[in-house]
Amino acid sequence: MNERELISLLKKKDREAFKIIVETWQGMVYNTALGILQSEEDAEDISQEVFMQVYESISSFKEESKFSTWLYRITISKAMDHIRKKKRKKRFAFIQSLYGKDNEVKIDPPDFFHPGVNLENKENAAILFKAIEKLSENQKTAFVLSRIEGLSYNDIGEIMAISDSAVDALLQRAKKNLQTNLKSYYQLHEA
Amino acid sequence: MSEKIFKKIEDAMQSIDGIKKASPAPYFFTRLEARMQNEKNWWIKITEFLAKPSIAFASICLIVMINAIVIFSSSKAKNTASTQNNELASIDEYSQVSATLFEYENVKP
Repeated sequence: MNERELISLLKKKDREAFKIIVETWQGMVYNTALGILQSEEDAEDISQEVFMQVYESISSFKEESKFSTWLYRITISKAMDHIRKKKRKKRFAFIQSLYGKDNEVKIDPPDFFHPGVNLENKENAAILFKAIEKLSENQKTAFVLSRIEGLSYNDIGEIMAISDSAVDALLQRAKKNLQTNLKSYYQLHEA
Repeated sequence: MSEKIFKKIEDAMQSIDGIKKASPAPYFFTRLEARMQNEKNWWIKITEFLAKPSIAFASICLIVMINAIVIFSSSKAKNTASTQNNELASIDEYSQVSATLFEYENVKP
């Protein structure tokens, strides 16, 4: 069964077609979500939400772009929403801590270990992921799609609806910001 | 930047070269289906609850009551406003302007 047939069957709410779609693209969705969210639990949760939305709103997919592009867009948008919600909660908790007893400074050490990283690079990768976390939404998206998902500039441009040169500029800025973040991290930990 | 820090940055930047793609734990589709069923059941429960004759009747009564309160309070506000307008009109007509403290203190001889 090809992609177009699967989509037309899913529009008729065919369970078997949905199962094939989930099993074909679950890795791609999960890996992207994990790269952005840096938590296996959150990535699983968001991946499920992505496929639930696919099932509910497949009729709105006009087949003008590739199905994978549509899936990537849903995944990125859901993952970013999740991060924003988490940040709002953190801010609220911080305000609460100002008025409460819990006013000690919390250090946020690198604690995410991507399962696809070699054991010898584990510590360095965790520090890099901590730096990725601080990038802007667009830079983070471009970096994750390029370095974690291994997509081409053309594919990234299609997903983010920007030109190849804009992707290149985003990645250059992301690299520069990562180096700056890493520099401050190492300077702080050298001292 | 010291040579040591520069080396560390380079190592960190290269640490994800050749990273393998992560995949969800086995039986992802089963968990997904269970969650979809759960959420569907939740909506069914809500609709069933709202469809109960007693709940539906109580909800309608509540809506009618809220409407009545809103209509009653807005008509009352209109009446108050029109009474105030009438009072102002009569003050204008008979020049019954109340004197201010300034006027009492600056009485012309």
